[in-house]
Amino acid sequence: MNKNEAIQTYLLALADDELILGHRDAEWTGHAPLIEEDIAFSNIAQDEIGHAQALLRIYESLGGNDPDTMGFLRDADEFTCCHFVQMPKGDWAYTIVRQFFFDAAEIIRLRYLKNSTYELIRELAAKIYPEEQYHLLHTQGNVERLGDATEESRRRMQRAVDEAFEQALGLFEKIPGEDVLIDEKIIPDSRTLEAEWLQFVTPVLKRSGLQSPVIETNGTVESNVEPLYGGRQKKHTEHLHKIIEDMQKVYRMIPGAKW
Amino acid sequence: MNDTQLPIWEVFHQEKRGASHVHVGAVHASDEEMALQMAKEQFARRQECVSLWVVREEHVVKTNYDVPFFFARNTDKEYREVYGFPAPLKGKHRE
Amino acid sequence: MDVRERTYEEKITEFEARIARGEKIEPGDWMPDEYRKQLIRMIGQHAHSEIVGMLPEGKWIPHAPGFRRKLTLIAKVQDEAGHGQLLYRAAETLGKSREEMLEELLEGKAKYSNVFNYPTPTWADVGMIGWLVDGAAVVNQRMIAKSSYGPYARAMKRICFEESFHIKQGQDLLIKMVYGTEEQKQMAQDALNRWWHPTLMMLGMPDSDSPHLEKLKRWGVKVKTNDELRQEFIDLVVPQLKSVGLNPPDDNLYYDEKTGHWHFTEPDYNELKRVIKGDGPCNKERMEARRKAHEEGRWVRQALAVAKHKREAPAV
Repeated sequence: MNKNEAIQTYLLALADDELILGHRDAEWTGHAPLIEEDIAFSNIAQDEIGHAQALLRIYESLGGNDPDTMGFLRDADEFTCCHFVQMPKGDWAYTIVRQFFFDAAEIIRLRYLKNSTYELIRELAAKIYPEEQYHLLHTQGNVERLGDATEESRRRMQRAVDEAFEQALGLFEKIPGEDVLIDEKIIPDSRTLEAEWLQFVTPVLKRSGLQSPVIETNGTVESNVEPLYGGRQKKHTEHLHKIIEDMQKVYRMIPGAKW
Repeated sequence: MNDTQLPIWEVFHQEKRGASHVHVGAVHASDEEMALQMAKEQFARRQECVSLWVVREEHVVKTNYDVPFFFARNTDKEYREVYGFPAPLKGKHRE
Repeated sequence: MDVRERTYEEKITEFEARIARGEKIEPGDWMPDEYRKQLIRMIGQHAHSEIVGMLPEGKWIPHAPGFRRKLTLIAKVQDEAGHGQLLYRAAETLGKSREEMLEELLEGKAKYSNVFNYPTPTWADVGMIGWLVDGAAVVNQRMIAKSSYGPYARAMKRICFEESFHIKQGQDLLIKMVYGTEEQKQMAQDALNRWWHPTLMMLGMPDSDSPHLEKLKRWGVKVKTNDELRQEFIDLVVPQLKSVGLNPPDDNLYYDEKTGHWHFTEPDYNELKRVIKGDGPCNKERMEARRKAHEEGRWVRQALAVAKHKREAPAV
C-alpha cells in the first residue's frame, strides 16, 4: 500500500466510525430521557456525522469518490468501522458510556492529528477538536453523575461499562497501512492511543464508582479483556448490515435519482 | 406522580463582549454545570454567544406587577432628564 | 400598597384595558382564571404538538438520503424539541409544571395537533411536513407572537425564526424531487394529496364552531380567527405549490378576482374532531412511543436529581 492509499484507508476508517456512531446517536432524537437532552444529544449526532463528511471530503480530494457516494452507495462489507459503533443503542447508560469512550478516544487521537505532518489532516483535526472537547465535557459529566447516583443507575452504568469496554478497544484495532503513516508522523500508533485511552478513562470510571476490567501496576494501566476486533478488516456484525440497509434505502431507491 | 423534570434555571445570554446579558428563557437541569450545557444547547445553538449565566429560578427576586407605587414617577421629574434642558450647544472644536 | 383590595370588576376592567392598549400580560399579573386556563390549555397543546411532532419526521432520520439531508433533518427535529422546551416553559410561568403537563399528555388527557396523527409513508412526507405543516404553523405562530401573554409571544418570535428554516428545507427537498425522475415527482404529488386536508384542519375548527372565539379575541389570546388564518395560509401556499407544478387535491380551488383570495373546499371537520379525540390513524402509535421514552428515561431523571456533582477538574 502506498502512502496515498494508506491515508485514504485511514480516513475512511475514521469517517465510518463517525458516520455509524452519529447514525446510532440520532436514534435518540425524539426519545431522550429529558427534552434538554434530546437537544444536546442531537447536537452530538450532527457533529459526528459532520466529522464523517469532512473526513470524506479529504478522501475525495485524494482521488476518491464523493462523500455521498461513499456513505450511501457503498455496501456494508466495504465499510471499515469498528464493531463498537455498530452496536444497537441500548439503554441510556450504554449510550452515555459508549459516547464517553468514543469521545475520549477521539480527543486523544486528535491531539496527535493536530500535529500531523500532513496538512489536510492537521487542519481538519484542529477544527474537530473543540467540538469533541465539548462532547467529552457532556458525556464525562453524565458518566460521573450517573455512575453512583442511585442503585438502578449504578447497576445500569456498570453493565454498560462491562459490555462496552472490550468493544471500545476495537477503536484501536490496527488500520491497514498504518505503519507507513506512523513513520512519516502523519498519524499516531494505535497502540499508543490505546495506552493513553486506558490511562484516561480508568480514573474517570473509578471516580464515578464504576469498575473497569484493567490491571494497574506502577502507574500503567493494562486492559484485562480481549478487544473486539474485525471491523478494520471489513468483518462486521449483522447490525451494520441493518444500519446500511436503513441508511441507504431512499438514496438507492430510484437509480440515477438525486435527492 | 413520581416523575421529576429536574430543577429550573433561568438563562441569561450575552451575544458579544460589551453587550449586556439578556434573559432568554430557562432550562431544566440537575445542577449548575449541566444547566450551563443545556443553556448552550438551547440558546446558543444558532445565536452568537460569548457568555451564559444561569440562576435557579427561585433565586430570582422579583418586583410585583400589582404594587403600582413601586415604580411611580407621577410628579414632575424633568429636572433629571436630558429633555428637561435646552438644546445642546453647537460649538466648534477650535476657531 | 393599596389598603383596599380591588374588586373583581375593577381588576378585569384594568386587565382588559391593558390588553386593549396593546400591552402584554406578564407572569405574576392578576388575570381572570378563564384566561389562565385557556392559555395553559393552548400553550400545553402547542408544546405537546412539538414533542409528538418529532416522531413522524424522526422516523425518517435513519433513511435520509445523503449527508446534507440527514444533518438537516436531525437539526430540524432537534429544533422541535427546542420549541417544545420553550413552550413548556411558557406554560410553566402560568403555574403548571412540566411534570404535570407531560403526565396529562401521556395519560391521554391533553390534546395535541391533529396532523401528527397521520402516517409518513415516504420520504416526500418529510418535505410536505416542512412546507405545509410548518407553513401553516408559522401563519398561526406569527399571530401568537402578537398575542397578549408576554412569555408565549416572546417564545413565538424565536420559534417563527426557526420555522422559516423548516419550511425552506421542506421546499428544497420537494423541489429536488419535483424536478427529478417521474417517480420522484409522483411521490411528491402523492404526499401533497395526503397532507393537504390534514393541514387545513390543523388551523382549527371553523369560526362558526368556535364557542370561545369572542372572549379569546377580546383578551388578545387570538388575534385572528381560524378561518382568517386558514385563508391566509391558502393564499400563501397555493401559488408556491403551483409554481413548481404541484397541485392541491381540490377541484374547486381557484383564484377569485373579486375577493383577491383563493377559493377552496373546506376539509371534513368531523374527521378533525375524531382525530383530536384520539381516533386518528397514528394516535396510538405516537402515544406509545412517547410513553416508552418517558418510562425508559425515568431512571435517568431520578438519578440526575440526586447525583452528586463531583468533578475534580474540567474534563479537557
